[in-house]
Amino acid sequence: MLQPGLPTRIWTRGRRALGFALGVGFAVVACCGTSRPAGAETAPTVVDLQQQFFESRVRPLLSTKCQECHGDGIAEAGLRLDSRQALIRGADSGPVVVPGKAAESRLLAVVRHADDIAMPPEGKLSDDEISVLETWISAGAPWSGPGGDDDTSTPAAGPVDMQRRLEDSLQSHWAFQPLLRHAPPAPAPQASPEWAHSRIDRFVLAAATAAGVSPSPAASPRDLVRRVWFDLTGMPPPAAEVDAFAAQPTEESYQALVDRLLASRHHAEHWARKWLDVARYADTMGYAFDSQDKRYPFAWTYRDWVVSALAADRPYDQFITLQIAADLVVPPVPPSDLAALGFLTVGRTFLGNTNDIIDDRIDLVTRGLMGLTVACARCHDHKYEPVTTADYYALHGIFASCQIPEELPEIGPPPPGPEAAAFAATYAELRQAVTDHEAAVRARAVREAVTHAAAYFFEVARPAVRGADKRPPRLADGYELQQLIIDRLTRLVGGQTEQHPILGPWVAAASGSDAEVPSRLARLLDAEAAGQPASNLNTVIRDELVSARPNSLADLAEAYARVVMRIAPDWAGGTAVAGDETDDVRAARELFGVDGTPFVVLTSEAMRVANMAEQTEFRRRQLNITKHQAEAAGGPPRAMVLVDRPEPQDSPILLRGSPARRGDVVKRRVPMLLGGAGVGAGSSGRLDLARALVAPGNPLTARMIVNWAWTHHLGGGLVPAAGDLGLRGEAPAHRELLDDLTRRFIEEGGWSLRWLHREIVTSRTFRQSSAAREDLADRDPDNRLFARANRRRLDWEAWRDSMLVAANTLDRVHCGGPGVDPLAVESMSVRSIYGRLDRQDVPGLLRTFDVANPDTVVHVRVRTTVPQQSLAVLNSELVVNAARRLAARVQAEVADPARDDLRVDSLWRAALSRSPSAEERDAALAWLAAEPSSDTSAFGRYERLAQAVLAVAEFQFID
Amino acid sequence: MPHDLAANRLLSRRDVLSRGGLGLGWLGAASLLDAERADAAGSGLSLAPRLPHFPARARAVIHIFANGGPSHIDTFDPKPALAAYTGREIPTNLPTERRTGAALPSPFQFSRHGESGLEVSELFPSVARHADRLLVVRSMHADVPNHEPSLMLMNCGDARLVRPSAGAWVTYALGTENQNLPGFVAMCPGGFPIKESENWRSAFLPGAFQGTYIDTKKRDAADLVENVRHPALDRDAQRRQFDLISQLDRRHLAARPHDPALEARLASMELAWRMQSEATDAFDVSREPAHVLARYGDDVQGRQMLIARRLVERGVRYVQVWHGAGQPWDSHEKIETNHRRLAGECDRAIGALLDDLVAHGMLDSTLVLWGGEFGRTPTVELPAPGTGVSEPSGRDHNHHGFTVWMAGGGVRGGTVHGATDEFGFKAVEKPVHVHDLQATMLHLLGLDHTRLTYRHSGRDFRLTDVHGRVVPELLG
Repeated sequence: MLQPGLPTRIWTRGRRALGFALGVGFAVVACCGTSRPAGAETAPTVVDLQQQFFESRVRPLLSTKCQECHGDGIAEAGLRLDSRQALIRGADSGPVVVPGKAAESRLLAVVRHADDIAMPPEGKLSDDEISVLETWISAGAPWSGPGGDDDTSTPAAGPVDMQRRLEDSLQSHWAFQPLLRHAPPAPAPQASPEWAHSRIDRFVLAAATAAGVSPSPAASPRDLVRRVWFDLTGMPPPAAEVDAFAAQPTEESYQALVDRLLASRHHAEHWARKWLDVARYADTMGYAFDSQDKRYPFAWTYRDWVVSALAADRPYDQFITLQIAADLVVPPVPPSDLAALGFLTVGRTFLGNTNDIIDDRIDLVTRGLMGLTVACARCHDHKYEPVTTADYYALHGIFASCQIPEELPEIGPPPPGPEAAAFAATYAELRQAVTDHEAAVRARAVREAVTHAAAYFFEVARPAVRGADKRPPRLADGYELQQLIIDRLTRLVGGQTEQHPILGPWVAAASGSDAEVPSRLARLLDAEAAGQPASNLNTVIRDELVSARPNSLADLAEAYARVVMRIAPDWAGGTAVAGDETDDVRAARELFGVDGTPFVVLTSEAMRVANMAEQTEFRRRQLNITKHQAEAAGGPPRAMVLVDRPEPQDSPILLRGSPARRGDVVKRRVPMLLGGAGVGAGSSGRLDLARALVAPGNPLTARMIVNWAWTHHLGGGLVPAAGDLGLRGEAPAHRELLDDLTRRFIEEGGWSLRWLHREIVTSRTFRQSSAAREDLADRDPDNRLFARANRRRLDWEAWRDSMLVAANTLDRVHCGGPGVDPLAVESMSVRSIYGRLDRQDVPGLLRTFDVANPDTVVHVRVRTTVPQQSLAVLNSELVVNAARRLAARVQAEVADPARDDLRVDSLWRAALSRSPSAEERDAALAWLAAEPSSDTSAFGRYERLAQAVLAVAEFQFID
Repeated sequence: MPHDLAANRLLSRRDVLSRGGLGLGWLGAASLLDAERADAAGSGLSLAPRLPHFPARARAVIHIFANGGPSHIDTFDPKPALAAYTGREIPTNLPTERRTGAALPSPFQFSRHGESGLEVSELFPSVARHADRLLVVRSMHADVPNHEPSLMLMNCGDARLVRPSAGAWVTYALGTENQNLPGFVAMCPGGFPIKESENWRSAFLPGAFQGTYIDTKKRDAADLVENVRHPALDRDAQRRQFDLISQLDRRHLAARPHDPALEARLASMELAWRMQSEATDAFDVSREPAHVLARYGDDVQGRQMLIARRLVERGVRYVQVWHGAGQPWDSHEKIETNHRRLAGECDRAIGALLDDLVAHGMLDSTLVLWGGEFGRTPTVELPAPGTGVSEPSGRDHNHHGFTVWMAGGGVRGGTVHGATDEFGFKAVEKPVHVHDLQATMLHLLGLDHTRLTYRHSGRDFRLTDVHGRVVPELLG
């Protein structure tokens, strides 16, 4: 590595401009007092002075003001300012510095705020700083030391650096290292023997002991049983069960309880809801056109699939493979499993913006499943992670090769009942309306394309200059050329030679100027006339050319257009006459007149050539279908699948994320971090991607889910940020524990989430008391050591479900189906997971209680404490209605109105899973006695008391 | 800490202070960042007031959103040069959403107002009375001529991606001074504007910082705020019930000492109790004297401007007042009648709001911002099938140049900043991008837009992303 400022360095560039700029350069150097020992052996050379100037003035400026965004690893706008070569190369948009020519160097305009772009973003440079840059550029931008032209240690180009970052991080970043088993430390002799059984506990105990703290004592049996119920099922235990466990709190009965809860459907529902946060689940597409119905009538089939997959304890590797590629796995899965693909499709639709939809899916799969942020690389190589834009657009190609079919597949029979037939009849009618419209649009579009065929030929040979919006040209009569057709025709013509029987004359003549057209055509036609070489010119085009004698490209395009017109389908304005069908006509028809040829787009492509009014009408007709499916009874369930397009395609890199600026096309593959393997030809690559996620060499996916589960069980993660395993995330305090548990999750558990849950909740670590400890408050305020349990507030779903349990309104056999209004009284029989969620209008009450934002992957919800939560506890219809039913339940259970004491007992047991203490009973009885008993309002004494018990902190918190 | 945003935790110390009824001043010189570092046990995020990065000029914002895109040429940016081109095309016709043709001079008269001689059209006579307090930024520009992305840019700092709104950012940064009211209120009569609740979303910030939507078409105060009134109990009965809850909770807490989350829960119950009366009161304009109501006008705009004042008076941090559902100011056609009607609906109320803020000594600390998501073209929009425009009498969207004005909150009043070209098409002098406006607004609130960050998805996000600069000339 060369040291900056070595006096022996010789400049190789920028000498020529030196003489002009030197004066200023000297002056500045002199001012800033760069010292040389007096009486130095030789006078400073020009090169030395330049070098000093660069090192003392320019390099610090570039380094502090520019390189954070235009430097190693990150190159905003494709520009790096950390080496001379990179500087000269410039930005995506072109050069920014012309050495020796300050006036032509855009960099200076930008820092002077005399350009569209004003830099640096933090604030304008001082006049002095700007003059330093000007002086330097005028002097030829001399650069000494690292980053200079002679410096080979600094790779000049971005990709090389990214390669190095990849290699470095694969070596050094903890989360990229292979998963190893670790031997848990032997417990200290004085430790409780209970802590010796579980490997989790031995790791936790060792770390705590090393930090000088001891674990907390076990939680009381009553606290424990309530905790494990909420933890595994999101519901409170019946009071009788708490009593029974408290009477016999043996290890065996705890293990049996855990097994029973893990096997319950309620467990699957509770953890499915957590997964739906990761999957950014909602029942609507978000902001939509007026002509759209924003509802997803079948999002619930995905939600129900998650519940049933967890209930069946499908191994996690299989669980996520199906969610990415259920349609591609071999052997094929039953249709019901296609619902898993809703994972990819229940996100926002961004008014149909494909790139945004794909971005959402990339973030889902990378950050959601691996805790690795890739979406940053949409616009530039990732700032921190070893992820390049090429990685991003390689994934982009995978999703760009997929589409949602116009008609979603049925995955089961319609619900039994008389409505099915009527539903099907209306459905068929509405489908037909869509198909009719598509056929009509297609006919219109093909007819117009045929009419304007000459303009298409002309455009292919001499593309018009496009405006900023990149739209294809619009003709004088108002017709706008269709990009789809331009592209097809370009491809068709592009692959041909002059020998092509029909396109040969075009190939020969279209590349020249107008003046050359007649001679070039003559050459072919004369050869034809002379019969040499054996010409195969198609007579249809020959006759046209002979009779029209084109004198310009426009004439030639017209001649070809007449051929197109002649052989076009009659419904598209073709002018073929009967008996016309020679071999040559047939050949021309096959080239231009059948489905899939440039002008004759397919019905399935109709919307790609539709005008705005037609697209609106299409959405309107689709809206009718959606509305029917969302509102009418009797329809079959369908899966929100994603399927591969017939022709998978690679995506170009979009420079700065802009669709208008296409860079190199990158082959579809998994990110380099995961090995970079390409995908199989002929498929989108979703299955390859899914396999790479769960491949043995990829430790991220398993670490992510194990840490995620731990975080939800313990109220804090082994890795503190559950969704960030990247270079910028915090490393786990218990790395060996995480690795060991993850490795065993795969090897012993076979990716079974149930195994993982059991391993965690049967640990002593999980079973500790949550009581605050003074010694820990100082040493471990964030409880990173897990030397106590975390007291937690119920999330929205568990809170609401607990009220339904207390009110005894829950229909415990309800098994999914279309979502219900979570706030309606009629929905009180249904668990919260089955609530319908409009991502565009999440009810205030749910937001207040911190439900996950359905627009982005949420691994763990943020938790707020705001008074609106308490306002809801005091006044919301939800709580008031639950209180009414709870009061009714209690009064029914203890029919004798004289036995307030028994009713109070019953109330406490229903709501808090325990009997009241003597003090509480007395307080409640005294309160009841003081309430006006003559009150006959619908919200009487017991309703008020019931609401009070639902409102206490204990109801909402788990010790 | 049990959530994945530990780095962004705000503190229990502040919770304690606010619980103790101690106001902002008690925090002394501690800055927001110091306070965050001081956080230890953390009880989760809260709305407790927090100090800015540096001393603030404004402590509250009222953003009057003329949604749909008001024409700057007809309101605050006179362009006499257009008259010479009546019926003819002007030399520059930049691309906008739709095709436009000849120059369309403003049908409205402009005149000079106040000592500053600021020019305001006849559409806003009441606003014009405050000319010397207005800072008119005539050189605003945005990125695209479409409502959706421009609304997102103006409100959330990014046209495309899901980002928190400015109100959410500010509430996240500063909390709010009245715990009995939401910190960020978005009022819109009769429904949502275009892009709906996305305009005041919290995105990846905690949901508590999302704007609370109020449909100001409703008249009864208790209907305006969610859960502010018990559906079945009167105040006395609820008081007795509340006392029982408190009694049980105190017992519960006594057995579980030193738990900040439980303590915060109990404190929030007390706050909620007080909020029941205070929130109702804040939204109940019928408590204002008749002459005040008359000054604002007894209509929906009058009511919502009055509510805005009452909210800011009570310590609400950020208030948005939308003109109406959809995009009322979107005058593609008949701009003369449409703009006259729209301005007529709100001018009086805005003037009264400014009057009151001055009279109550609140304008200095309240930043009032008026504007839309963009302006309109100086050229007439041409009728075209499918656009609903059947006669050439309106203007198309214009993001190349438009006007917003600000008042109070430390801005330089009686001033015009920047200019569009001679026809009003493009900002040419001292252009101010929407990011710059946002950076400057944050600056007035005592926040450095480059330091107001939130860690999400592996990186620190800001309202201005990598853009924006504070415009020093806008500061008073």
